[in-house]
Formats: sequence, C-alpha cells, structure tokens
Amino acid sequence: MSEHVIQRMKDLPSTHLLGSGTPMCAGCGGLGALHEIYDLLGTRTVFVNAAGCMTLLSVYPFTPFRGSWLYTAMASAPAGAQGVRDALDILLEHKRIPPEDDLSTVVLTGDGAAYGMGLSATSGAIERGLDFLYLCYDNEGYGNTGQQFSGATPHAARTSTSAGARGYSGEKKDLFSIWTAHRPVYAATVIGAEPLDLAKKIEKAKRLTGPRLVLALAPCPTGWDFDPQQTVEIGRLAVRTGIWPLKEYLDGKVVHTRVPHPRQPVEDYLKTQGRFRHLFEPARNEALLGEIQARVDAYWANVE
Amino acid sequence: MYRIRFHGRGGQGMKTASRILGSAFFREGYEVQDAPRYGAERRGAPIFAYVRAAQRPIHERGGIAQPDLVVVADETLTPIPAAGVLAGVSARTVLLINSAESEDAWKARLNYAGRIVRLPGGGETRERAETATIGAICAGAAARLVGRISREALALAVDDEIAALGREAAEKSRERALAAFDALDFAEGCVMEGEAHDARGYAAPEWVELAAEAALAAAPDIRAVATSVEVRTGLWRTLRPVIDYDHCKGCSWVCSTLCPDSAIQVDAEGAPRIDYDHCKGCLVCVAVCPPHAIRALPEKDVQQAQEATA
Repeated sequence: MSEHVIQRMKDLPSTHLLGSGTPMCAGCGGLGALHEIYDLLGTRTVFVNAAGCMTLLSVYPFTPFRGSWLYTAMASAPAGAQGVRDALDILLEHKRIPPEDDLSTVVLTGDGAAYGMGLSATSGAIERGLDFLYLCYDNEGYGNTGQQFSGATPHAARTSTSAGARGYSGEKKDLFSIWTAHRPVYAATVIGAEPLDLAKKIEKAKRLTGPRLVLALAPCPTGWDFDPQQTVEIGRLAVRTGIWPLKEYLDGKVVHTRVPHPRQPVEDYLKTQGRFRHLFEPARNEALLGEIQARVDAYWANVE
Repeated sequence: MYRIRFHGRGGQGMKTASRILGSAFFREGYEVQDAPRYGAERRGAPIFAYVRAAQRPIHERGGIAQPDLVVVADETLTPIPAAGVLAGVSARTVLLINSAESEDAWKARLNYAGRIVRLPGGGETRERAETATIGAICAGAAARLVGRISREALALAVDDEIAALGREAAEKSRERALAAFDALDFAEGCVMEGEAHDARGYAAPEWVELAAEAALAAAPDIRAVATSVEVRTGLWRTLRPVIDYDHCKGCSWVCSTLCPDSAIQVDAEGAPRIDYDHCKGCLVCVAVCPPHAIRALPEKDVQQAQEATA
C-alpha cells in the first residue's frame, strides 16, 4: 500500500497489484479504473461484488485479487458489506484479530446495481454510517447481458432495449447527487483516463472513515460500440466536453477538480461511439444534439 | 435438420451472423433456432453461435455437438482448446474458414477429413474496423453452402438484422454478404442435412463420480492470490503492440497505468515491458504513448516470423 502523496503522474504506482488474465473485454474502461484504484487501496481489502460484469473477475479457481472477494446478488452488496464490516468489528472487539489485521470493506458494483436495483440497500447503508468504500464502474447500461438500458444510460443512447431513432428516452440519473443528499463522508467522480485525478481522490477516500462513493465512468467498447484502443481517448473527451464532470464532495461542499476550459462541443464525444451514430446518420439530428449540448451547458452554467 | 456452428471472437459479429442465417432460413419457410452461447461474450474472447433449421418443428435444444457446417471467422481460434472449433466434426462436416491460406494447407494442418472451403476474401480483413462485417460475410457464405437460401432471402435477412445499425452499415453488410454468396457458387449445397437425433439413442456422458466432500472443503473458495495469471488472455490478441525502445522515452507511468489489464510491467530500469501472455491486444498503449513509440503488428505475422527464426 503506497503511503506517499501523489502529486504527479510519475508518482503513480509502477507495480500493479491486480492480476492480469481476467475475462473482462479488451479495452474495458471499468477494469482500467479498477486496476488503478486497486494499486492505491492495496491488498488489505474485502471486495463485496454485486452481480455484474466484474463478478466474472473471480470465477473459481481464478481471481485477480490479492485480498478477499465476496460475491452477492445484484441488490445486496451494501448489505454484504455491512455483514463483513460487523464481523471484522466483532473480531477486533474480542481481540480475535489484532488491529493490523483489519481490512477495509469495498463494494464493487456496476451501474445496473448502483443506480437501480441496489439503490435502496445503498441508501440504508449510508444512513447507518457504514464504514465502506462504494466503487461503481458506470458503463451506462447492463453490459454483462448485452447492454440493455439502466438508470445510468444517457439520454438518446442506443441500447439493445432502446434501439429506435431517438435512442433511450429517459435521463441519466444523478447518482452523485443522490449520494451527497445523504451527506456521506466523501463522494467523488473519477475516470480511468485521468489517473492522477483518480489517484488523488482515492488517497483522500482511503484516509476517511464512513460511507464513501467513488463513481467511475467506464467507457465500454462492447456496449458503446467503439474500437477498444479508443477507451482512454473517449474517457478524456468525456471530461473535456464536460459531459462527465470530475468533482468531489467533502465537508458538505462539492468542488470540481477539473473545469474544462474551453469546453469542447459534446458531439466530439458523441460521434466517437456507435451508440450515438443515429444522431449523425443518415442525417444529423440537430434537435437532439442541441438538447444534449444544452443540458451540459446548463450544468456548467451553475458551476462556472 | 441443418446444424451450423459459428466460431469467432467477441466483436466479430458471430451472433449477428447466426441471426442473419436464421432469418434467411426462416424466410425460406424453415423452422429455425438461432442463438449465441451465453457466458463469455467478451471482446476478443472465443464466441460461439448456433443455427438449427428444419422443415419440421425443432425439439433439440442447447449447443450443437455434431455440426453439419462449422464456420470459423478467425483462424487463430483453431489451436485454442477452449474455442472447440473441431468439437464433434466428422467426415461429412464442412469447414468454412476465414484464412489467406489454401484449403490443402488447412486439411493438412488440422488433419481434416471433410471438405474445407475458404471464406471469400479470406484473411484480407486486417483492419479491426472492418471486422464488424465478417459476420455478414460468414452468413452469406454459409447460406450458399447450405444451398437452400435464395439471394433475395439473404438480402432481406441482412436488412432484418442490421437495419437498426444505420443505413450505411446495412448497405455495407448486405453488399459483403451477397458478394460472399456469389463467390461460392462452386460449392453450392455442399452442406448436407444431419440425421434427426433420437432421444432413445442418447448415451449419457462418461461422468467421473466424485465422492461428496464436506461443505467447507468443497465450497469454491480460492485460497491463493492473483491466480488469474494462469489464464493466457494473450490468445485473444489479433494485433500485437510492439515497443520501439529506440523511441521509447521511458515515461512508463503512462502506458503501464493506462493498460487496463496490468499487462505492462515496469522493469528495474524503468522501461515498460509488455506481457504478451496476457495482453489482449486492445492497443490502448498504442493510442496513448506520448512519443508514438508503440506500433501494432498483426499477431499472425509476428508469430510466423518467430517460427521462421526459431
């Protein structure tokens, strides 16, 4: 576990803890974020994994983790984390394990569970002040089953269950605000494509006690339809176009850790992905593109 | 009943290929099943899809163990046991393979008794962006080999399945599927319908009986760390990133941090080293390398060059 403060890219860990050979897709943006985060969290962790793509990380007898990992149903990872935390606390209290053998509890979940099925259990865990880190890899759909839309799917994206000319008619839920409305200890958005920003937030989250959210946008070659080598570039574009604001919540205040200036037009991001192709072909859908840009503009008008 | 099995890698459109062929059969009045195998449909990982077509209701279910036609969209799958390309083939199974090498070379290499047909334009699809149409090409070729599907039904089936991806994609796929259909006129109808399977002839698999263990011992607990390295995901790769150390600036924190698979290690001198046993060939490193010192080479060419020097 690295204890030094990360200031520059050069300070990032050069040995990687997460084992290679996982069954995640080539170019998986979620795995990219997880491997960066795991290097900083270290091996003294228990991952409680809600059903999703990443439950395939540990399929007997293979696991990329060097610490503990536990699998739960989709809606119940925070409840699983509560059980693990309670068990550790009891062992500590009865001196059955020394304090240095304590582990930190991490929920690992996709957006299907985080934004939808698991929301109630999550809300309850924050309410109880559970000491856990909640890590969501958000690929904006039920990726493991063929990218059906979820509560995290952005407006107008094509998914296998929103294949019409206008794509998904709903709106991406604001999970960050849902969390901060609970007044947790910490909440942050990150992306694997910005490793330094991510590392600083993980180091901060690691030192705090209580409910903590780390929400990672996870570019998904399979579900979003782009070449795997573009994962990082698309992640950077998500930040530069302002569609994925990098921010953190601490002591009741939200601070944006990166304010893109000048902000690139959001279509620079949209046109890189097949799931938005219908906005450009056969003819540009100016109305829908304007609508998406206006939402991003309105968000930043409140920040800048 | 026709039993057709597609083999490809995630991203090459094998599910789409099975759907196009299934729809084409359906348009010709057949009862049809088409389905991909659920479980490991990851980009680059071996993928299976199945089509059954018959003039009578189909009561068989599940994967196809004894195929009449095996379609291989990616020749690099043939040596991978998990891909199971040759599982259950017999002398009457036709093998359709996407390769630049000759039918005879493949017959010798695979010791294959049945007929081998090359996919039209085989092996030419080097650009990864083009791989999305391989599924349509496979479906078009398979339709001709079966010999029960008209050109018109094939074209309509492509439209049925690809229309949602936009007009350009649909036109490109239809064009490629029909070109493959036309190119295989010499092999029309070479695939023969397999026998109907009878439940009375069912032989149970040769199970190995394992005595039940105590629950604790038998539970699937993994007690070792990072065992995933035993899985050689390097086999997924069709393009290989190669570092040109003359131009590498040693900023290994960029490539080794951004490689999603922990497949770029940093050596004692601070230089990045790619772990080809596990690199899946996503090529993120090629895209992010600041001095552009990483190139992508076709995996097959690199392996052939290595075999030649060995």
